[in-house]
Amino acid sequence: MEKRITLKIAKIVDETRDIKTFTFNHSLGAKPGQFIMLTDFEGGEKPFSISDCSKNEFSITVKRIGDFTTRLFQKCVGDYVSIRGAYGSSFFVSNKKVLLVGGGYAVPTFNFLAKVLLETGADITLINGACTRAEHVFDNSFKNLNINVINTTDDGTLGEAGTAVEIAQKIIAQGKFDFVYASGPELMMKALQNVIGDLEYEFLFERYMKCAVGICGSCTMDPSGIRLCVEGPVLSKRKVEKLTEFGKYHRDASGKRIKF
Amino acid sequence: MQKSLKTKFLGHTINSPLVLPAGVIGMAFSGFNISIENGAGIVTSKSLTMKPRTGHRGPIIAEFEGGFLNCMGLCNPGIVDGLVEIDQFKKRSNIPVIASVFATSTKDFLKLTKHVNNSKADFLELNLSCPNVFDEFGIPLSASHDEVYKITKAVKQISTLPVITKLSPNVYDIVSIAKAAESAGSDALCMINTVGPGMLIDTKMIKPVLFNKFGGLSGPCVKPIALKLIYQTYSAVNIPILGMGGVTYGEDAIGMLMAGAEVIGVGTAVHYRGIEVFNKINSEIMEFMAENGYASLQEIPKLEKLKM
Repeated sequence: MEKRITLKIAKIVDETRDIKTFTFNHSLGAKPGQFIMLTDFEGGEKPFSISDCSKNEFSITVKRIGDFTTRLFQKCVGDYVSIRGAYGSSFFVSNKKVLLVGGGYAVPTFNFLAKVLLETGADITLINGACTRAEHVFDNSFKNLNINVINTTDDGTLGEAGTAVEIAQKIIAQGKFDFVYASGPELMMKALQNVIGDLEYEFLFERYMKCAVGICGSCTMDPSGIRLCVEGPVLSKRKVEKLTEFGKYHRDASGKRIKF
Repeated sequence: MQKSLKTKFLGHTINSPLVLPAGVIGMAFSGFNISIENGAGIVTSKSLTMKPRTGHRGPIIAEFEGGFLNCMGLCNPGIVDGLVEIDQFKKRSNIPVIASVFATSTKDFLKLTKHVNNSKADFLELNLSCPNVFDEFGIPLSASHDEVYKITKAVKQISTLPVITKLSPNVYDIVSIAKAAESAGSDALCMINTVGPGMLIDTKMIKPVLFNKFGGLSGPCVKPIALKLIYQTYSAVNIPILGMGGVTYGEDAIGMLMAGAEVIGVGTAVHYRGIEVFNKINSEIMEFMAENGYASLQEIPKLEKLKM
């Protein structure tokens, strides 16, 4: 287990009403796609994807969805939280023409990925999708990177009207992409898989996690038993194609199957 | 000389003496799959309860120099869904499965036993020793000689499967409790459950690291305790022992066999050596057998029993 470390929050940025970015001064040494476990010792320890990571600092971008994140949203700069990680698999670093398809609060992890891909000289197109303008994040961060960005919202309140997958289908048909990355709701990724053709890809998955070190079995995926905290959260095309639960069900804290 | 790890446990032939213990990976059938793919000879479900349990809130695990503390809090999908996972695994595999169950009364243990009777599980494990639900249920049943006897006896009367009683190391006289299980008809013993419990403190935030405050110890630090308790028990009973506690390398597993275990659980080591740990330990046991001229696990000598 990567050593637990208790850190002060160095910076907080409001992205939307329900999404904040928390930055810490700490040399995490993470790779894009990896995650940390974070706790305030008040009940709950949750996995968060890393949205930025440089030599001396890293950030996570969090959507407020329950008690835990509501408490986290009340924290101020200088307050302590305790983290461990970084854990899990990371994205393949391509130097070719790549398409990034992201949805909602899962998009910020592509900020970290895009920076690393740019260092290798990849030609990047990003579809930054959300349901609506109020849920759309990281517009400015991506503007500052030298990448092609296509903003979309399902309701057309920002960028092109339509789902990220509809846009992806169009531009996959036009452009010659070598590799596709996706991070978003599972049903978005399932739909994307159906329009992706023969392209190689990697998807970033989310499952209920507890130990994050491959022991507790909470995040094993059917049927092979991929432990999403160790062999994931980034899964290759070869692994995704073998999943029988993809887009069908996940498991809650008790291990009960919950349909999407 | 043809060396083999093939052995028998309670009438079932197994290809490896290594067991995936309760609470480790085996939440879903896929957790069993990844364990046997990597060399486990027997797998155990999470300890199943009458109703689903989400377990304790996190952090539920904390590392320290000697191993881990954990307080999962018996999270499991409940007996009905848990047995569905076992049955689904058994459709594709003939590797034996231990259905572990947890309850706080004889009545509920009997209900759970009836469910397990109707499943494709091969063995029934009575978890009488979870150390992490003290606030909810008090002292583990396995602290009491009488409770162990009463529950094991009642379950044995209706179980159609061999019964394994899982014991706690956190007792003064393990031998009397092991003997209680044996005299009640238990077919085997599983030992040890986690040790302690213990605690760790975050000194910056002035908080216990585990949200449950306390958690059972596992990993290398508990191995000497496990060896001692298994050896004492082996000396006193005539039923097989599923030994576990801190087994990380082949050497540790061989020590367990010498102390009196017939098969060996490997849990926390999955973190230290990866999911491949079962195959790694299998190879290390084979190497030991080759170096010392043992053709089978049965040829590995056991310690001379303690004189009681």
